Amino acid sequence: MSEPLTKTGNPPPSAPAAPPSAAPSGGPAPAGSGRGRLHRRLRRLLPAAGALILLALPFYAEAFWLRAGLFAMAAAIGAIGLNLLTGSTGQLSLGHSFFLAVGAYGYCLFAGDPDGTTTGWGLPPLLAMVLAVALAGVAGGLFSPIAGRLRGAYLGIATLALIFIGQHVLFNAKDLTGGFNGRPVPVLEFLGLSFDNEKTLVAGVPFTAVEKLWYLGLVLLAAGALFAVGVLKSRPGRAMNAIRDHRIAAGVMGIPVARYRGAVFVLSSMYAGLAGVLLALVFQRTVPGYFGISLALTYLAMIVIGGLGSVGGAVLGAAFVTLIPQILTRYSESLPLISAPGTGGVAPGEASELLYGAAVVAAVLFLPGGLVRLPLVLRMRRQARRRTKTS
Amino acid sequence: MSRIRRLPASAVAAATALALALTACSSKAEDDGGDNGSGGGDGASGELETGAGVTDTTITLGALTDMTGPYATLGASITQVQQMYVEEINGAGGICERELALEVRDHGYDPEKAISAYNELQPNVLAFPQFIGSPYVTAVKDQVDSTDMVPIVAQAWTASLLGSPYIQMVGATYDVETINAIDFLVSEHGLAEGDKIGQIYFEGDYGENALEGAEYAAEQLGMSVVGQMIKPTDEDMTAQVSALAQEGVSAIVISAGPRQAASIAGVAAAAGLNVPIIGNNSAFAPQLLATEAAPALLNNFYIAASTLPIGDEAAKDIADSYLAAYPDATLDNGVLAGYNAIEIITEAARLACDNGKLTREGLTEALRTMSGFPGLGVTHDFSDPANPSTLETVILKPDADAPGGMVVHREAAVSDIAGSFPRE
Amino acid sequence: MTVFSELLIIGVSLGSVYALIALGFVIIFKSTEVVNFAHASLLLAGGYAAVQAREHMPFWLALLAGVVAAALLGVALEFLVIRRYRGRDHSVLAIVTIGLDIVLLTELARQIGPDIFSYRDPWGSRLIELGSLTIPQTRVAALITAAALIGIFLLAFRFTSWGVSMRAAAEHRETAALMGIRLGWVSASAWAVAGALAAVAALFLSVFPTTGLDRDTGLVALKAFPAAIIGGLDSTTGALVGGLVVGITEAMATGYQNDLSFLGSGIGELAPYLVMVLVLLARPAGLFGTRELSRV
Repeated sequence: MSEPLTKTGNPPPSAPAAPPSAAPSGGPAPAGSGRGRLHRRLRRLLPAAGALILLALPFYAEAFWLRAGLFAMAAAIGAIGLNLLTGSTGQLSLGHSFFLAVGAYGYCLFAGDPDGTTTGWGLPPLLAMVLAVALAGVAGGLFSPIAGRLRGAYLGIATLALIFIGQHVLFNAKDLTGGFNGRPVPVLEFLGLSFDNEKTLVAGVPFTAVEKLWYLGLVLLAAGALFAVGVLKSRPGRAMNAIRDHRIAAGVMGIPVARYRGAVFVLSSMYAGLAGVLLALVFQRTVPGYFGISLALTYLAMIVIGGLGSVGGAVLGAAFVTLIPQILTRYSESLPLISAPGTGGVAPGEASELLYGAAVVAAVLFLPGGLVRLPLVLRMRRQARRRTKTS
Repeated sequence: MSRIRRLPASAVAAATALALALTACSSKAEDDGGDNGSGGGDGASGELETGAGVTDTTITLGALTDMTGPYATLGASITQVQQMYVEEINGAGGICERELALEVRDHGYDPEKAISAYNELQPNVLAFPQFIGSPYVTAVKDQVDSTDMVPIVAQAWTASLLGSPYIQMVGATYDVETINAIDFLVSEHGLAEGDKIGQIYFEGDYGENALEGAEYAAEQLGMSVVGQMIKPTDEDMTAQVSALAQEGVSAIVISAGPRQAASIAGVAAAAGLNVPIIGNNSAFAPQLLATEAAPALLNNFYIAASTLPIGDEAAKDIADSYLAAYPDATLDNGVLAGYNAIEIITEAARLACDNGKLTREGLTEALRTMSGFPGLGVTHDFSDPANPSTLETVILKPDADAPGGMVVHREAAVSDIAGSFPRE
Repeated sequence: MTVFSELLIIGVSLGSVYALIALGFVIIFKSTEVVNFAHASLLLAGGYAAVQAREHMPFWLALLAGVVAAALLGVALEFLVIRRYRGRDHSVLAIVTIGLDIVLLTELARQIGPDIFSYRDPWGSRLIELGSLTIPQTRVAALITAAALIGIFLLAFRFTSWGVSMRAAAEHRETAALMGIRLGWVSASAWAVAGALAAVAALFLSVFPTTGLDRDTGLVALKAFPAAIIGGLDSTTGALVGGLVVGITEAMATGYQNDLSFLGSGIGELAPYLVMVLVLLARPAGLFGTRELSRV
């Protein structure tokens, strides 16, 4: 029973790099049988159905859920980046929220117009978005003299310095960041599309900013996820896993370890930057207090809960950690054990903290590999049970 | 064994059905005239015009609070007293023949939750008598001014929130409060031209707004300000106080939190720096009187505020019913801030009802006619959103025997300098 | 000059308290290779237990109760969680301690609520005068206590059998186990010692000139991270030096912040991290840490 669990504690390099909706391979489906064919067809249909639902949601779901979904999508993009760094290459980072801040504020700086208190370059928003992501990459690159030399805990705590530097700059460089109250986020516009709050009727449904941004979020997340899957499945991905599993051996095999580690750091920062831009667009205002330590810890929680080293895991973990507090806050009155604010007892905010803290511990102890491995673990248990029954 | 495999089959079926339904009419689709809001007539004469948050039986108000983050203490007091107030009003028959309902969302000072909660409640409430967290109020300000137009009482006193027709603060802003505090130091503690005033202030808009006031007052009085900026996480004020002592300051103004105030008073007393210390209204909590700093606070420490203390005779009814409803709660001035806020919104709703227009617009218009609203110890004037509702400041003093830990030291007054403080 | 000396003494005294926290952090790392991000909650739990006990008993007994409570909590975490982990990746365990920290801090903050607790300690707000300098008695007490505890620990580490097993486990776990050293006991005792030291630190972080213990007291543990890194994560001497460096840097940067205003305001919080980054650029394993040599 504990044997397969032990093995999955350190996911093998190839297995977890599956996209979220594809069921894990190596299942029991007996080839050729009618059931097996049906199963295979279902596996192809399922992602398509999922995609359809996601595309249709803005026509049905209320703005609250779309906004929560957008937070989850942004978090998923950031978590994919962190998972490339921490999950796949084994570099612990507590500074991820710094790069989110670079992306968010970078976009505001490049796209914003100077308004007397804050400077802005007034560039076309799409260009500003690309530049902001690049800027986050450059920030990651600037940190590489440190990132390249340090490992494990040293790197983790060194990246903590980024958060403090980031907070200091965000509060003090007022003409760039707007200081304590942050700065407004320019509306994204390109090719005549404007992601603003102006109501546009689409098939009779009024589209405001969240509905429009929903599709942008889907596109960015899909592109980010596909790119990460591509990286992990190809040569660089195997090299990254080799570095994580045995750095010295990887060096001996001819992998340029330092160059890879630096490059992954830059790539992960760019993912964070993109997540930051998307978040800023949803918030419509950037505030410095958001980009602190607790956000960075939240991202680590996401990848552990979802599954280290896996793109699908990052997405699942991000959805779990982002949506839980929203659901608990919204339905606090009707949920057992949780009391409405002001009545004493466990408030929804506290409940969601307790829940996701405990989920981190539980995921590592009882479900190594995270939520993304849950179907596989369940199936293995079932097989084991069947085997004991037949014998 | 096939149980699991059948699950996706049904999921696919459901998904396909959902996708097919795309072509059908969406529930979100707009009907004609859907903009008019939920209930009621179209403002025909004699009939009550209503809008978002108002049905035939209920008026819904929203509260965006922080009960699990850094402002948990303030958030708990405000929310509890507002819930109590709502019950009192409903017990007395409600207003406008409707019951009040208060929807509370705890955002824990997290922007994701704050923005979500605002947008969730916004379509369904008449007004927000509570919104904690000035960065988040600022974040939704443009949206409020341009599309939502929902009246909000922000539990912040920074001048940066002035100017929106819908966002209202109850009381003097920190700049005015600090000016009045310095005026008090001059009249009662003999500060004079050439003196130095030390100010220990938080980074962010609270501290910086208070600093603006102090610098203006000092300039008018021929004094100078020695500033020491700190963060909310700084708790040991030894270095700051010794720096001020080196400068030879004649008084200390604290625009920080209660813990910092206690540390400053304690360190100054221990080091023999015997100067008057005055804090803004957020610099005191009754819990401090149970700490080692109590003797120092009782001796030489004052608070500037836009309300009488909760322990005052005038607030006795509120304090008594609050303690009856929440026997374990701590009495502090957050209770009064919360009470004032919802009382003002309710009063404006009453007026709006009398005017036949119980909508957001009607409530805002009614609020603008309230130019002589009697608060606790000060009079509020809500007619001009570009100015704080009052320029008056009460000076309070800690007192271990008073409920809430404070008594009035000087009644409400406006200094000449506060009256001349320029606002663009 | 007086300002400088006063700041130096404040810095050394604060630094010795940080060193207590960092020392616990290093002991856990040495014996289990886990970076313990749950240190903040150990500290707050120890402090909260002590102030609760203070309602019913004299100061020293209450302090002891806090120390015991934090040590037990440390052992419980080690036994219930850390020991159960079957993987090899220690950064995963570090993330687990983050999860533990979130759970414990949330629950403690819920219990503590808005209250500020006082230890009602024997020193109060009295000062000691040394020539032209005045220093709070609590600061001197902190310095003496920390120095004594760190001294005792360093001696125990060198001369007792417990110290030998801990050093052996740090050197090579498998070999130590083969030599008959019970690794479980070593790592549980490390967590207990770390909890106890954090509880003592909680006392000195909550007495004059600070106002008292509240829900945010645990945040100070964040300052122990740069302290442990500056000294070197696997060096007990390093924890002492790192703590002092952080304390002095912070006190100086705060005290002279008006002369450092070109760096922006509030530099005191950031300065220890900047020092840490500079140290790491020169010495990637900290001042006293073991440099891992990889010969191929």
